[in-house]
Amino acid sequence: MAPSPLPIASPLLPLLMAPVAFAAVLAFIVRPRSVRIPIKGRHVFISGGSSGIGLALARLAATEGARVSILARSAVRLQEARDAIRLATGVDVAIFSADVRDADAVANAVEEAGPVDVLVCNHGVFTPQELEKQDLEEVRFMVEINLMGIFHLIKAALPAMKQRAKATGLPASIAIMSSQAGQVGVYGYTAYSASKFALRGLAEALQHEVIAHNIHVSMIFPPDTDTPGFAEEHKRRPDLTNIIAGSSGGMKADDVAKKALNGIKSSMFIVPCNFEGSMLSIATAGLSPQSSFFTALAEVLGAGFMRFMGLCFQWNWFSLIEKWHSKKKNM
Amino acid sequence: MASLFFLFLLLLLPLVVVVLLLLLLLAIIVRPRPVRIPLKGRHVLVSGGSSGIGFALARRAAAEGARVSILARDPDRLRDACDAIRRDTGVDAAALAADVRDPAAVARALETVGPVDVLVCNHGVFVPQELERQSLEEVRFMVEVNLMGTFHLIKAALPAMKQRGKETGLPASIAIMSSQAGQVGVYGYTAYSATKFGLRGLAEALQHEVIMDNIHVTLIFPPDTDTPGLAEELKRRPEITNVIAASSGGMKADDVAQKALNGIKSAQFVVPCNFEGTMLSIATAGLSPQRSYLMAFNEVLGASLMRFVGLCFQWNWFSAIEKWHAKKKCK
Repeated sequence: MAPSPLPIASPLLPLLMAPVAFAAVLAFIVRPRSVRIPIKGRHVFISGGSSGIGLALARLAATEGARVSILARSAVRLQEARDAIRLATGVDVAIFSADVRDADAVANAVEEAGPVDVLVCNHGVFTPQELEKQDLEEVRFMVEINLMGIFHLIKAALPAMKQRAKATGLPASIAIMSSQAGQVGVYGYTAYSASKFALRGLAEALQHEVIAHNIHVSMIFPPDTDTPGFAEEHKRRPDLTNIIAGSSGGMKADDVAKKALNGIKSSMFIVPCNFEGSMLSIATAGLSPQSSFFTALAEVLGAGFMRFMGLCFQWNWFSLIEKWHSKKKNM
Repeated sequence: MASLFFLFLLLLLPLVVVVLLLLLLLAIIVRPRPVRIPLKGRHVLVSGGSSGIGFALARRAAAEGARVSILARDPDRLRDACDAIRRDTGVDAAALAADVRDPAAVARALETVGPVDVLVCNHGVFVPQELERQSLEEVRFMVEVNLMGTFHLIKAALPAMKQRGKETGLPASIAIMSSQAGQVGVYGYTAYSATKFGLRGLAEALQHEVIMDNIHVTLIFPPDTDTPGLAEELKRRPEITNVIAASSGGMKADDVAQKALNGIKSAQFVVPCNFEGTMLSIATAGLSPQRSYLMAFNEVLGASLMRFVGLCFQWNWFSAIEKWHAKKKCK
């Protein structure tokens, strides 16, 4: 008589059911629920859209059939950007000149542009320096532009966005350009990391407040990106910041824009741009919302290992800081 | 029977070895290295020290033999606070009247009391409201006081702290009062969470910059604490914020002060104040530095479970938001 397989399988069965049950629970609890945010024919408004990542985003969105508006300070650079986009895509973007530090100017520009479907708060300035050496004016500059400027944009665009989302029944998006410096603070970045970390607090709370209006918040975390802004920053970087920042590879603006737009369209709350960024995002997932079951799974499974990796990075960084200082002393 | 026992040992032994290896590895890599920060006879300056958590901190520091200075806006409340400290501890605290939004006033005030050993940036304002309803003036108020105010304090105190540290050879501390709202952003807290998250970016970068000067950065994350500040805040809180904030228990100011001071003395980078806070700190450990290899062990082992718990919380919160809106619609 053939032996019945069941007695051998029975202790294994609960062992196999546990991960399946766990996966089922995870799939059930991920919030907010994932949506697709259409871009074609919709109004995409990009601050800091005349150069760098913003320009690349504007060009990409135009290619995908969106109606694009770009906001920046310099009228000349805005016109050059418009010409460049027309040349590359045949599409005409609307240009608006305003300083994001001026809440009224921002409100006027947003009103002139009309209701927004996808608001991309992409503008930013960055001046790395040891806090002890840095002027408080520079600190204030970064906080005013990177943080208050984004409050101004969102405040200006939100009412019409809600209205529009209700009228069209389509999901809208508020996307915020952060940085890997908004996931970990390193030497030389007290002010910049402060402004970028702050955007995360804003975004987490904002998602709670706007989810009922079918508006979805996305945060993009690029590494060093090949842009005019970065070229400026690089001139000012302290030695140690360069040594430490070498830990993550750089990217081209177009590639960042591609990752960003994909993340926005999938209503991802956290959008990493490269491999190190994905690891960083798992390590710093914290209590952020997660709409994708697969990413949630990766986060839960990878969290412990990523914390260990994070501790290794800090071990490396503090050792580098120590070495650099003793080298300086011996000179 | 014996074979089962040996099987059990065979499975358990490698597990024990792995755990011991992990502990050993963590003990080697945790940075910065642990230090003790003495308080007795040293100069402790507490901003926002005339009420709430700051006052409790000042009183405790005085009781432990520190020379205490308290900084706040209102001279009357400062005088009352100094009287209370003298009454309770016999110590005469120095009173500094200054608005932290004014860097020149802060610098002047700090100069009158001399070099600081333990700088406690404890002051803070909090006005919860949906960003859509909140005035930009209130947003700016929180950013100016909570974030820029802390930059002003650190900028003013840092040179003399470094000098003092060099002369005495003793470790100094920059402690920053954050909040559980600085670990997760929830409904109603766009501006407040922005400022508190910002402080974390500042702190992580600052620790890199000041470690070689034997200055140690500490962030304290209290829950709702029974203070005059909270009483004011509760009057303004949106309903949904109350529902969500109930997820974490409240504390008394003196208990928070005790946890804070202990954390400062152990130079802990992240100081939670209650059980939920400890769970939250593991979930949001991110890439923060960790001096204690035991705490690092908890973080690495607990990270996965905590991410899962975090996702459960977001599931709970988004459901609560959905229910509240549905209820409102039906009215």
